[in-house]
Amino acid sequence: MSFKPQENPLTTHVLNTSDGVPGARMALSLHRLDSKLVIWNLVTVGTTDEDGRCPGLIASEAFTPGMYKMRFETGQYWESLGHTSFYPYVEIVFTIKDPSQRFHLPLLLSPFSYSTYRGS
Amino acid sequence: MSTRRLQHIKGHLLVEDKSAEMAAPNSPLTTHVLNTGIGVPGARVALSLHRMDSSTSLWNLLTTGTTNDDGRCPGLISREQFTPAVYKLRFETGKYWESLGETSFYPYVEIVFTITDHSQNFHIPLLCSRFSYSTYRGS
Repeated sequence: MSFKPQENPLTTHVLNTSDGVPGARMALSLHRLDSKLVIWNLVTVGTTDEDGRCPGLIASEAFTPGMYKMRFETGQYWESLGHTSFYPYVEIVFTIKDPSQRFHLPLLLSPFSYSTYRGS
Repeated sequence: MSTRRLQHIKGHLLVEDKSAEMAAPNSPLTTHVLNTGIGVPGARVALSLHRMDSSTSLWNLLTTGTTNDDGRCPGLISREQFTPAVYKLRFETGKYWESLGETSFYPYVEIVFTITDHSQNFHIPLLCSRFSYSTYRGS
């Protein structure tokens, strides 16, 4: 993982909407699709902090146009809180055409629902 | 062997690979796609249902289909086929927005869910716009 606080082109924020708290200590990973081989390459592995965020997902230089996937280990998260969940994990696949922009990918999550949007 | 004969044999071997209209009249699993960007049903969205093979961790394709004018796709799976397992519903949302002349942030949406009590009914809606989507477990 690269730690460049001034360059954070891709960020996320996990929110536990069921309890009204950040989704803290959730394991996640970022992948990029190799368009020639059509396989996913692992870019970063991380865990959300107490605020449900995970700084340093990818450096600007590495953030090239392409198809990416953020995978959130939501099943393990709910299990650690003593709950079952409908979704064993959540994967969000998105396309980056203009990596000079900033992309914020929140995940709002309960044991039986989730939503995401492209923020800034 | 002729292509026609190969297709015929394939139809016997891949018995679970059905188009949604044939699969089941009263599917315990239903979906509803809604285009929240415009406020209309997500009509004619291609989708597919897959089940994870627990021994190989590979996805088996069960059903392909397309939502109707109301954004629904009846007959996804029969009660007998609906065994406890991990399933995946994949929605070709990128192609859908493209057919409307729009771009979208997400090339497709995959929702992976666990079924333990297969006697219940499960409704999995997808509310989507070009830059957001949400889903929940309904009944």
